[in-house]
Amino acid sequence: MPDMSAIVNPQQRQFNPYAENGGTILAIAGADFTVIAGDTRQSEGYSIQTRYAPKVFRLTDRAVLAVNGFAADGNMFVKKVKQRLEWYRHAHAKDMPLRAIARLIQTMLYAQRFFPYYVYNILGGIEEDGTGAVYSFDPVGSYERETCRAAGAAQSLVQPFLDNQIYFKNQTAAQGSPHPAHLPLPDVLSIVIDSFTSATERHIEVGDGLEMYIVLARGRTLPDAVAGLRPQELPSAGGEKVFVLKRDLKKD
Amino acid sequence: MNSLVRQFLITDADRETERSSELTNEDRPSDALWGSQAGFGHLVEGHAFNIPAVPDPSAFLRLHTDDHADPNCKIKIQHGTTTLAFRFQGGVIVAVDSRATAGSYIASGTVKKVIEINPYLLGTMAGGAADCQYWETYLGIQCRLHELRNRERISVAAASKYLSNLVYSYKGMGLSMGTMICGWDKTGPTIFYVDSDGSRLKGDLFSVGSGSTFAYGVLDQGYRWDMTDEEAQELGRRSIYAAGHRDAFSGNTCNLYHVKEDGWKFIGNYDITKLHYDGPGAVPGAPGGGYGYDVRTDSRFSTLSEPVAA
Amino acid sequence: MFLTRSEYDRGVNTFSPEGRLFQVEYAIEAIKLGSTTVGIRTPHGVVLGVEKRVQSPLLEASSIEKIMEIDTHLGCAMSGLTADARTIVDHARVTAQNHAFTYDERIKVESVTQAVCDLALRFGESVHDEDAMMSRPFGVALLIAGTDELGPQLYHTDPSGTFVRYDAKAIGSGSEAAQSELQDKWHSQMSLTEAQVLVLRVLKQVMEEKLDQHNVQLAQVTTDKGFHILNERELKEVIDTM
Repeated sequence: MPDMSAIVNPQQRQFNPYAENGGTILAIAGADFTVIAGDTRQSEGYSIQTRYAPKVFRLTDRAVLAVNGFAADGNMFVKKVKQRLEWYRHAHAKDMPLRAIARLIQTMLYAQRFFPYYVYNILGGIEEDGTGAVYSFDPVGSYERETCRAAGAAQSLVQPFLDNQIYFKNQTAAQGSPHPAHLPLPDVLSIVIDSFTSATERHIEVGDGLEMYIVLARGRTLPDAVAGLRPQELPSAGGEKVFVLKRDLKKD
Repeated sequence: MNSLVRQFLITDADRETERSSELTNEDRPSDALWGSQAGFGHLVEGHAFNIPAVPDPSAFLRLHTDDHADPNCKIKIQHGTTTLAFRFQGGVIVAVDSRATAGSYIASGTVKKVIEINPYLLGTMAGGAADCQYWETYLGIQCRLHELRNRERISVAAASKYLSNLVYSYKGMGLSMGTMICGWDKTGPTIFYVDSDGSRLKGDLFSVGSGSTFAYGVLDQGYRWDMTDEEAQELGRRSIYAAGHRDAFSGNTCNLYHVKEDGWKFIGNYDITKLHYDGPGAVPGAPGGGYGYDVRTDSRFSTLSEPVAA
Repeated sequence: MFLTRSEYDRGVNTFSPEGRLFQVEYAIEAIKLGSTTVGIRTPHGVVLGVEKRVQSPLLEASSIEKIMEIDTHLGCAMSGLTADARTIVDHARVTAQNHAFTYDERIKVESVTQAVCDLALRFGESVHDEDAMMSRPFGVALLIAGTDELGPQLYHTDPSGTFVRYDAKAIGSGSEAAQSELQDKWHSQMSLTEAQVLVLRVLKQVMEEKLDQHNVQLAQVTTDKGFHILNERELKEVIDTM
């Protein structure tokens, strides 16, 4: 006996092309480096789809993009950004500078203003002047240069911690020793690792693995404390250097 | 027809209409995206926006992005603001807060809500952050083209009308912006209020955003045409402080700009909490001391922090 | 010679059996009728100079515009059918502004030049509902001057859509004499003032009238100050130092 209720009663349907795949990303800029990190868990609802789905991608020798939100949109977006970077290389015979990538991402996101990508982007890298920079975006392309930014499922857990540890919010400097404008790389890395281990403890959508990309300005080398962690160096044309450091996070 | 030739032959309104009909799949291969044009051909051709293939695209957009209608919607576009601008004898004062909220989360406390369109035009940001940022940047390049073609700076009236016509062509599609276009042209200091509904108003004094009622309270009380520069700057600062203090969606810091005959100047960034307790510091025009704390606690018997006497 | 051409010099999109596009070649000839235009690159910036043919004492010399700004860091000088240059320059301006909008940076000199040259070949008959087309090739050549991260540069473009970079280049009716003079006098370490004077000397040589501040125009693009057309007072100062 077919179910007739569907025919008798009016039904409302909605087009819902979006899903939320959890995870968290963050980036912190130093004076001459930037760290861009993300966990590798991908989930939908309460079930984990995979324990290794990268959310952080190297774009050029000095730019790394972290993408969070709806994984399908995110992967497609990264693919399209990479395509535009390649076209730019052919048209202008140079790699796109970081601030140009930031503006490009705004225009690409805004082109989807009426059918948005459900993605939160954080772009990190080295500017033309050799300083570390982080750009954060909303899903339709509003953007801003910052020193640090967390996004994704555990944004509200991690960002207040960064505000306190990076911006020294609600901390009073001791007499005669003002807060530093930028922290050294080893300190930043431990803040990143602490952020993710803590977020893993308290957020169900965060965990499994941690990928940290380190972009170093021209002529800089890794401090011994960081070199000791044996990060993998990615091939680059010389100049800026990009390293990846992987860590396990709890898998429950 | 050659796009360039068309550019001269067809009016802006025609082009906007044509563009709306061109709102098709962005994957359509277009030579604008590669080759020497490498993606900047799209402006001559009109912005190519991708539209979901549903009967009512704006209802779709509302469903997924409007956090007022549905606090659980996935895509939270940044909102919430206090912005103000007023005209006086010494030019235009523009003051804004710096808080961006997504639902009840403070997404950022360092937003630049004054958009520097060019060295003598400012726009303010209220409503959708991306809508304001994108279209006002776009307005900037159109103003520059006007300047190159006509060997003369664009008037504030013309610039604001350009923006107004532009957003009006998207009416009903879900854009959200309330902005003040401020500048100094041949007619003197000028402010136009432009919003995404299609309003465009010329005036002496405007405030836009969730905290505007609080800002208006202070602004209307202290406003005079013949204020000095210092008095005017202080009034802008004090009004944003009031809004930051009373409106939960506004706060963090205040950015202050002053437009004069030779263009705009950034006056300063002021922490609203500091304004409450300590005031803006040694700034011309400020009375000294905090805007909020001292006036409430001075010569009182107790404050919250003091222990009750035995 | 003319007999063999007659079949093939009408259509703008038909090659002759020898592999030539006569209409494009004729367009290049049109430039040789234009007034002389000179550009010189130095390590500090690029100098552009044009001859204005003041045909009548009643003509307002300041209304002849043969040097135009493309953006703060880009300018160009023209020779040939200057009316065609309006379309080209507007395309260059739009391209430069669109680049600034999309990438938040100044466009490279070579990139605008390339964009201008893309436009040069959009003549002929349009295919399906394609967006082309002009009915004929442009009849104008440009000297595009600008600065970017590669330093000051000077490019020459012609109606065939070819572009070449030069240290110093002359186009227009007096270009042959002017070019050989440039070849003699140009050296790699010229100062901006030396370049200004050389531009004027070269123009003076090929001009029929006596050179003064009304019948020449000088502009420069420098690394620190960008594009600037010299006003009559500044121009007179350079003429006086000649």
